[in-house]
Amino acid sequence: MIQDSLTRIWLLSKKNIILYIKKGPVLIFGLMFPFFMTLSWVIGREISLNLVFIGIIAMTSFFTATAISPVVLPIETREKSLERILSSPISLNEILIGIILASTLYSLFITSIITIIFILIFSVGFNSLITIFVMFFGIGLMSILGSLLGLLVAAHPTDMTSDVMIIMNLIKFPLLFISGVFVPLQTMPFNLVFISFLSPITFLTDLLRFCVEGNNFFMVQFDILMLIIWIISLSIVNYILHKKTMPKRLSETGSKKKIMMMKKNMR
Amino acid sequence: MIEISQNQNLTTELVAIKVLNLIKRFGSLVAVNDVSFEINQGEIVGILGPNGAGKTTTIRLLTSVFQLENNAKIEIFGDDITHNPTKYKKNFGIVPEISNAFSDYSVWQNLMFSGGIYGISKDEIEKRSKKLLTQFNLIDKVYSKTKTLSKGLKQRLNLCLALLHDPPILILDEPTSGLDPISVNLMRNQILKLKEEGKTILITTHDMREAQNMCDRILIMNKGKIIADESPDTLREQFKSTSTILFKIDGVISTEQERILSKIVNLVKDKNGYHVFSSTNALKDISNLYQTSKENNIKISDLKIKETSLEEVFIHLIKDDLAFEEGVANK
Repeated sequence: MIQDSLTRIWLLSKKNIILYIKKGPVLIFGLMFPFFMTLSWVIGREISLNLVFIGIIAMTSFFTATAISPVVLPIETREKSLERILSSPISLNEILIGIILASTLYSLFITSIITIIFILIFSVGFNSLITIFVMFFGIGLMSILGSLLGLLVAAHPTDMTSDVMIIMNLIKFPLLFISGVFVPLQTMPFNLVFISFLSPITFLTDLLRFCVEGNNFFMVQFDILMLIIWIISLSIVNYILHKKTMPKRLSETGSKKKIMMMKKNMR
Repeated sequence: MIEISQNQNLTTELVAIKVLNLIKRFGSLVAVNDVSFEINQGEIVGILGPNGAGKTTTIRLLTSVFQLENNAKIEIFGDDITHNPTKYKKNFGIVPEISNAFSDYSVWQNLMFSGGIYGISKDEIEKRSKKLLTQFNLIDKVYSKTKTLSKGLKQRLNLCLALLHDPPILILDEPTSGLDPISVNLMRNQILKLKEEGKTILITTHDMREAQNMCDRILIMNKGKIIADESPDTLREQFKSTSTILFKIDGVISTEQERILSKIVNLVKDKNGYHVFSSTNALKDISNLYQTSKENNIKISDLKIKETSLEEVFIHLIKDDLAFEEGVANK
């Protein structure tokens, strides 16, 4: 039973990676955005290599994680393949986990490549071996969290990826700017530190700072706990919202024309 | 999947699908309104209805794509699936009106994905896929992306996907809509072959001839309700009293002759040059027509009486339903 469920989740996730990794919104918002954001942040400024590394990893992890998960459901609603999935013996949980897993793996893969490049080419140092594990654990948590955030935005029952991506960007950029990516928490006024609590990226950045520089603002356990709290909260909200809006994908967006026709026929 | 015992197989009247009190609302619109029906194992049942009648919504409720409302109940081979629909989805093979296979997946990838979802082993998926692809003449398209296939080929792929897990019940939502005549013919032959194999088939269609030739029973839906549930022959029998009479007039008739003739029949010409009119008493009307034409020197030829088609029954029923409701509303 559990094995069947895991097989279905893996098949869904594999399908999501194969089909959506090359889609325009995923490439633009997942790869190009963090690349150009980093360029505009770094060029012309004297920023230490460690800070650049922390910023790039935090941004890449967050942007790549929020690239696939928002687009899967709108595209599948438009292409009607969602109806195939819903009429198959697949539960809502399996559909959602399949999307989260695909998005998380994509984020982990890209972020890991960049991390390895920085370690090998730019010789970014770590305090100890254990901090490397802590860093990857933090990146893993952020990948799950970002995927959940993207999926949450996709709960809006639309079949247009642009609708979802607009909302996603409206959420993503404020979360990035209020976090400690560009301005370290240590140098922030107290009020802003308080606001930075609203962004999960704050805790990843702080965790990365612990791993690379050792001068983190919060305790590393607190960073991890906060990321986990975010993940649990987003999981619950996602399940509730998607359970409510999933039938609407077929009835309200998928067959708007049909409903109009039905109403006409009823008259 | 539900196991059907040998004893059950021998019984022709085993109920494959039992639907009770289906209701679906979209806001203020009641798309499916208290629909109940039964389909026996091995039957082909057609759901007919105008656009927006609630056919596809009924199918979506039946296959648990939409959640059931109120006290609606669905039984598949006697098992109540209302509270655990996911478990019973393996009993259905669904062919949608518009292809819903993954367009960026190849034919083969779609089959592998679908088979995996239904818990079939990789070897078995490959074996079954090859058999189905050969059966539906798709073997040379196996590595083509689904989006590159024509509508007819996509529909064949959908049938392959629906049959891959060998479900006892097939649900076809307007499967021949928009297909070329060769694909339609292939599809119809395959559906009849599947019936011979013992599959229970529920089909929605706009094509009356298709319904008349293929279905054992027809449910006519209008405005979310079932307004008729009979065999095609019984339906036609019920409306046999209405005949369509066709005839030709030799030569040109004068205005006066036309006026006299139009008192008896409606002089509407079809594309083949026949004058067509409906009659509830064919014998009387034909004798009247002959008498009048003889008296007025009008030469009638090529007279035909056409049997009531299912299409005419359908239009009649939909109109009756509308007239009845208007009558109720006026009261």
